[in-house]
Amino acid sequence: MADNPIEQFGIHPIATNASLAMVGGAVLAAWFFNWAMKPAALVPNRAQVVAEGAYGFIHGMLKDAAGTEGVKKFLPFVFTLFLFIFMANMLGMFPGVFGVHHIFTPTSQIVVTAALALMVFFTVIIVGFAKNGMKFFKLFAPSGVPGYILPFVILIEVISFFSRPLSHAVRLWANILAGHILLKVFAGFVPALIAAGGFYGILSILPLAMTVALYGLEFLVAFLQAYVFAILTCIYLNDALHPGH
Amino acid sequence: MADNKPPEDALSDLRRRVNAARGEGASDAPPPQSPASLAMRYGGEFGAAVIVGALLGYGVDHFVHTTPWGLIVGMGLGFAAGVVNVVRVAQSYSRANPIDPNAPSVPDDEED
Repeated sequence: MADNPIEQFGIHPIATNASLAMVGGAVLAAWFFNWAMKPAALVPNRAQVVAEGAYGFIHGMLKDAAGTEGVKKFLPFVFTLFLFIFMANMLGMFPGVFGVHHIFTPTSQIVVTAALALMVFFTVIIVGFAKNGMKFFKLFAPSGVPGYILPFVILIEVISFFSRPLSHAVRLWANILAGHILLKVFAGFVPALIAAGGFYGILSILPLAMTVALYGLEFLVAFLQAYVFAILTCIYLNDALHPGH
Repeated sequence: MADNKPPEDALSDLRRRVNAARGEGASDAPPPQSPASLAMRYGGEFGAAVIVGALLGYGVDHFVHTTPWGLIVGMGLGFAAGVVNVVRVAQSYSRANPIDPNAPSVPDDEED
């Protein structure tokens, strides 16, 4: 690549709007929790209630799905995933500020969600083998299956296992992408109808109302998809700790 | 009087009241999923299994030179795995949302 020793001093753009939004989401989450928990008061103020509530929410979710052992091992991982996805989704809900055309939604790129889902997938495999050794293969062979259909069941279970990261990634990506496209399409009707003039201009109130309603729905989706991603992570991680259904 | 109680009693009384108040208010239960998101979940689980099965079969074809049998068998197994996935999701859904025991039964529902 670099034959020329001077090339290392070249200036390249290293940030895209996508990477900037991701860093922004991560920094925002870290800053909020540091700021909210700084007083660490016995009787919390409002910000601290939010921070503690989020922690308790994920803690309870992980405990239900993977037990106390799961909480001990995976709480930082799941909490980080949830916060990152939630912040990325929420940042994407803001229209442009400071001359930025609009804030990018990192979770609308499948490469981002696929990376997150594969991280969970490989965590399950590595922790599963490290903790259970060969017993981890019991995940693919449910007990009580007669011997003559066992090969088929194992094949089907293996495919089912490998399909997890795909559906895990696609669900978050498709929800966010579809929601933002829908918003853009309905919002685009408004200037189009106004430009048509006359009676059509009056009609433009309808897509405007729809956009406002969809915006509310998108806020719900932004939270719900982060929640769904986190709870599926909990369920998959439980398999790593307790293989064999 | 409350002041005469030992501190443990006062604390446990507080805990009891906090728990009672928590039980009445909004719980930590997960937010309800909309039917549309549930449908997307079923579809995603099924489709993902079919795609992965077909890809695995295609990969087997590529390395063992059995075109097109690996793809055909892999896709069939993928469909089976998709059904397994959907059944699992449905099971976890009905475990989380049990049927109301007071719901009226449909007369024709039973096997005669």
